[in-house]
Amino acid sequence: MMTDDLKKKIRDIVGAENALDADLDRFGYSYDASFVPLFPANKPELVVRPATTQEVSKIMAVAHAHGIPVTPRGAASGRTGGSIPLQGGISMSLERMTKILELDVNTMMVWAEAGVRTIDLYNACAAKGLFYPPDPASWKFSTIGGNVAENAGGMRAVKYGVTSNYVMGLEVVLADGTVLLTGGKAIKNVTGYNLTSLFTGSEGTLGIITKALLRLIPMPKKRGTLQLMFRTLDDGCATIHRILQSGLLPAAAEIMDRFCLEAVAKHRKTQHDPAVGCCVIVEIDGEDDAALDTQARRMEAVAKECGVYQFRVAQSQQESDELWAIRRGLSSAIASLVPNRLGEDISVPRDAFPEVVRRIGAIAERHKLTIAVYGHAGDGNIHPSILCDLSKPGEEERVHRAVEELFDATLAVGGTLSGEHGIGITKRPYIAKALGEAGVKALAAVKQALDPKGILNPGKIW
Amino acid sequence: MRNDTDEKLLDAARKIVSQCDRCGTCLPACPLFDVNSVEASSARGKNVIARALAEGGIEPTPEALAKVNFCLLCRSCVDICPSKIATDDAMIHIRQYLVNKTEAANTRYKAIGGILKSRGMVRLAAGSLSLLRKLGLNGVFPHGMVPEEYTRAHFLAAFAGPAALAGQAPPSGAAVTASTRVAYFEGCGMRMMFPEAAAETLNLLKAGTKPLVKDNVCCGLPHLAHGLRGEFLELARKNIEIYEDADAVVCDCASCGGTLKHLASYFADDPQWKDRAAAFSRKVMDLTEYLAKAGYTPRQRVDATFTYHDPCHLSRGQGIRKQPRDLLKAAGDFVEMKEADLCCGGAGSFHMDYPGIASKILDRKMASIEKTGAAIVVTGCPGCLIQLAKAAKASGGRFKAMHISQVI
Repeated sequence: MMTDDLKKKIRDIVGAENALDADLDRFGYSYDASFVPLFPANKPELVVRPATTQEVSKIMAVAHAHGIPVTPRGAASGRTGGSIPLQGGISMSLERMTKILELDVNTMMVWAEAGVRTIDLYNACAAKGLFYPPDPASWKFSTIGGNVAENAGGMRAVKYGVTSNYVMGLEVVLADGTVLLTGGKAIKNVTGYNLTSLFTGSEGTLGIITKALLRLIPMPKKRGTLQLMFRTLDDGCATIHRILQSGLLPAAAEIMDRFCLEAVAKHRKTQHDPAVGCCVIVEIDGEDDAALDTQARRMEAVAKECGVYQFRVAQSQQESDELWAIRRGLSSAIASLVPNRLGEDISVPRDAFPEVVRRIGAIAERHKLTIAVYGHAGDGNIHPSILCDLSKPGEEERVHRAVEELFDATLAVGGTLSGEHGIGITKRPYIAKALGEAGVKALAAVKQALDPKGILNPGKIW
Repeated sequence: MRNDTDEKLLDAARKIVSQCDRCGTCLPACPLFDVNSVEASSARGKNVIARALAEGGIEPTPEALAKVNFCLLCRSCVDICPSKIATDDAMIHIRQYLVNKTEAANTRYKAIGGILKSRGMVRLAAGSLSLLRKLGLNGVFPHGMVPEEYTRAHFLAAFAGPAALAGQAPPSGAAVTASTRVAYFEGCGMRMMFPEAAAETLNLLKAGTKPLVKDNVCCGLPHLAHGLRGEFLELARKNIEIYEDADAVVCDCASCGGTLKHLASYFADDPQWKDRAAAFSRKVMDLTEYLAKAGYTPRQRVDATFTYHDPCHLSRGQGIRKQPRDLLKAAGDFVEMKEADLCCGGAGSFHMDYPGIASKILDRKMASIEKTGAAIVVTGCPGCLIQLAKAAKASGGRFKAMHISQVI
């Protein structure tokens, strides 16, 4: 329970207008984009919106002295409940820390505050001919702090990797308010433990990330989009597998099943061709049009061998943008069709992709559920969405069993629970299965060392 | 206990907002969230509040009403939403519900609504806004709200040279068939704030046809938007009757036009009015939409550079973006501004309720206008024109703000 005296201490740090405790304001910070139910609401006792690292540090010192839980928050666009203040206390919302501090074209690195939107960072770098590749589906509204804390992935991971592949250093405020700097601009750096990697993907449980130093690469000169239609999901999976085996490396390769295509058609009020059971959207990039053309033709040849139903090269930027907009909006378009949607985020070795997709189909059939499948086929990260109505008698139990089996199937083929969304609240019950007892113990030991009072984002990961 | 009406309103809102999966796509699109970045100000925040009211979890309180009133109804969020969630409709339903439940302290809106409901009062207001202040209504129309109107005469004197003022502009020869019975819908904003622009609209109509003379009442949007649905429906029925003999009802106010085009949906379960409302809505046209259909060409081409601000209720509300631009390109030079369809912060009475926030939103608009170097920013809505006139003044005369009827 935060006393008025404590709230006043925090208000004195950030100013009254940046420490909100009206009931409806607190309610606004009780949810994220996950399927964690809205009620009972996990309201923080105080929403605090610091503008500087110093303010964050002072707030943490107060919180540490009084044992108040603190949950960091960016845009609350996470899918696993990471920014939900499960145990009340303070919601530390970093949306006011929006400065790009240094864009260093000589070393091709950028320092950005936690609240910078990913798209704003991308655009600022692109203006200098530099490329920040990680592009989670939420990149237009999610923030760098959240991306780093969740180690967000995205469509381009198949060629360019995920957020952690670009984090060179961090500024982190520790549980007691100490400000820690990790890493730096030196490309080779083995001085001490790799704390940068430790905090990346720590989901706000080890410290508050206030700034990130990110590595950039030269911007690809040309980009193109291909759309491949298949009769079956199997054909689509096989084609992507063959493309990757043949030495081609698409910048992104996204797959959608029949249900997704029907959802898109319904959403856009168009007709879905019933012969099409799978669509793959591919991004290619390169030096010039000729390089793109060569890649496109080689991919077309592979796709034809695998029985592609239709192969199309987007003819304009507008057409490309539209195809990617469909893909990015897919999650919400599917969600809007049913009362409840449980979106998962499994990730498997990429050669196991076709196999796990087949197993998902079998699970859906066994439990008489619809499981829409889409995801990053190129890197093995799939988002099976269980579409259901939890108010139907017995449905919740069947969904629960299906999720269990889904994770079992994933682990059986050498995969893992989450590719890019994090564990948060929603996958917490399954983590021991994935990491084993020793793995969970090691996590707990790290947590104990950095946050002995357990005030940072309590109730998450395990 | 909730009664039938309340249940219906909540149900209508629930149907909309239950589709929201809280992804956050709308956050950067919301002009209000851009100003204060507090979750409850965003479309997502308000949709979740609406959902909690409908499904249980939040009580209907004046505080909840204040949260849902803090919305421009600009539809920026609807446009960008992957599921096209109609936040504006949901807000209108929830506001009505909360007004019913809290027997709201919405005296301010009732006062405004009362004035707009009466044609006599609107006329009075048009005659002298200072009289309203004497009547003790200065809280409703605060000082400094009445914009300076830059007239067509000023405009021609500045940009066309004295020759253009010599006589009446020649008729455009717009191809309107003799049998089309055209009538003007003169909105309250146009009548009270911009009578000169309203007169120009009528002149444009007269150039191609002999418009029917009508004395319409308020479109009802101010009532609908603030929980006075009964009044809205009453006004709507009057307007439907008034225009029964017209084939085309032409609006020069984006908000009136948008509202009138949607009347049918509010009478869907009223057997007596359903068909009449639908027939009426089909006849409603924006001025630029009508002129484009009539093949109108501007009366003169001037040596001036225009830029255009899309009113929310015209661009996203009615899908009209091309017609006004085509007309402006024919009337002078045209430069597109950045974020032309971003709300200006006017939004009905929003700019009176939250002057600080509205002025921050307007700053962003003003910067976009100034960047174009255009001499005149043109729009098609008196609500926007109030804001743009403020921006024009603040810019120290770098640009003027005018209604489209005045420059074509």
